[in-house]
Amino acid sequence: MNSTKNKLNKKNQPTGTRRRFLLPILFLLGAFLLMILPLEGFVSSVKAVLSYVFIPQIRAAHKTVKYAENVHQTVWELLRTHQENQELKQQIEMSRILSVQAQQALEENERLSRLLELEPRARWNGTWAHVAYREPTQWNTVIIDKGSTDGIRERSAVLSLEDGKEGLAGIVVEVNENTAKVLLVRDKDFSAAVQLSRGQETGLLQGGGASPVRIKYIPLLAQVEIGDEVHTAPTSSIFPAGILVGTVSAIHKADSFQTALTVEVEPQIRSSAVKEVFVIYSGE
Amino acid sequence: MQSFLKLSVLFLIATVCHWAFSTLFSFGGMSVNIMLVFSVALCSVLKPEWGYSFSFLSGLFLDFFGTKLFGNNAFSFTAAACVVYFLRERFDFDGIFPQIITVFFLTCLVGILNSILLLWFTSSAMWPGGINLVSGALVGALTAPVIFWGVRRWWLGKRN
Repeated sequence: MNSTKNKLNKKNQPTGTRRRFLLPILFLLGAFLLMILPLEGFVSSVKAVLSYVFIPQIRAAHKTVKYAENVHQTVWELLRTHQENQELKQQIEMSRILSVQAQQALEENERLSRLLELEPRARWNGTWAHVAYREPTQWNTVIIDKGSTDGIRERSAVLSLEDGKEGLAGIVVEVNENTAKVLLVRDKDFSAAVQLSRGQETGLLQGGGASPVRIKYIPLLAQVEIGDEVHTAPTSSIFPAGILVGTVSAIHKADSFQTALTVEVEPQIRSSAVKEVFVIYSGE
Repeated sequence: MQSFLKLSVLFLIATVCHWAFSTLFSFGGMSVNIMLVFSVALCSVLKPEWGYSFSFLSGLFLDFFGTKLFGNNAFSFTAAACVVYFLRERFDFDGIFPQIITVFFLTCLVGILNSILLLWFTSSAMWPGGINLVSGALVGALTAPVIFWGVRRWWLGKRN
């Protein structure tokens, strides 16, 4: 049995080796034949046959490469578009900022233009200032960008403008070199001697904080109606007389044991509207 | 049948890569012979029957574009396949370095052989120039590890 196997192996080995060498030799001979044959005739027939195999392949390769080129271009364009998109986004963002700034400048310009038409300049000597800082927790106190170097002193009256009308905004309570703190009308600690426009009765206006601003000590028989204007009284030692403080918004009739009326006032200058102020120099 | 299909797909991929390299990555007369790299890579993993056939066909494919001589590439590719099968018993083609060296020298060899054959059969020299030949061989050699890896992965289904 073993001897038969060995015989077979011996027979196969030379065949395998022969095949191993035969194949390349055949291919080399074939190629050599193709080279020595003239290009016309047999070779052109071989080429014609091969064209059925290779031409679709060449087309496929060409299309693939073209597609790859297009992909490369598309990717490049996408990258460029992405970059342009980023730049445009930045420009849009910048435009938005500029637009907001322009809007703010426009509003400021409008306010200042109106302020220029104000009478305080003619009537009182003072200085214009901007609200520099506002503490969110203390809405009725603001800090303005002018101080003692600009002639501002404590207890100076502060005016502002809303809806085209000037009005009392508050009083200076603290002064630093370049800044000053203003207590606005609505603050609880604010008080001023005021006069009702209709009957000329005077009273003490007090800020209410979250509650309405009130005038106390108005005589029971005083002529007062909702919508009446309230001005600073000539008797005030702090505020010049005649500054509009607000309008009457409610009247509380006296109870039997009370001897005076309480009038609620809607301040002319709302705390949130204070942006530019006119500070009257003390002693004016 | 599956092997034949695999080989056909690989042949198509090789032609596409060859086309791409010859149109996109050839500068100043430098020709990168990617078909040869594929042929060498396949010979390093295939049985001689398949390897010689693939090499011969790849050569014929390149000859198809020639106008002066037909069969020179088939001859030189088959000769290159002979060299690969000779080296396969002595070198380990799993390593990157043997792959690069083999492809580099075989590209040079095929270039020189083609030029000699052309000179012999048509009496017109087609010498591409030493620098072009070497630079093309270098680019081909640099692509060799990737193509070897791809071919092995495709044919043997393994990473190395």
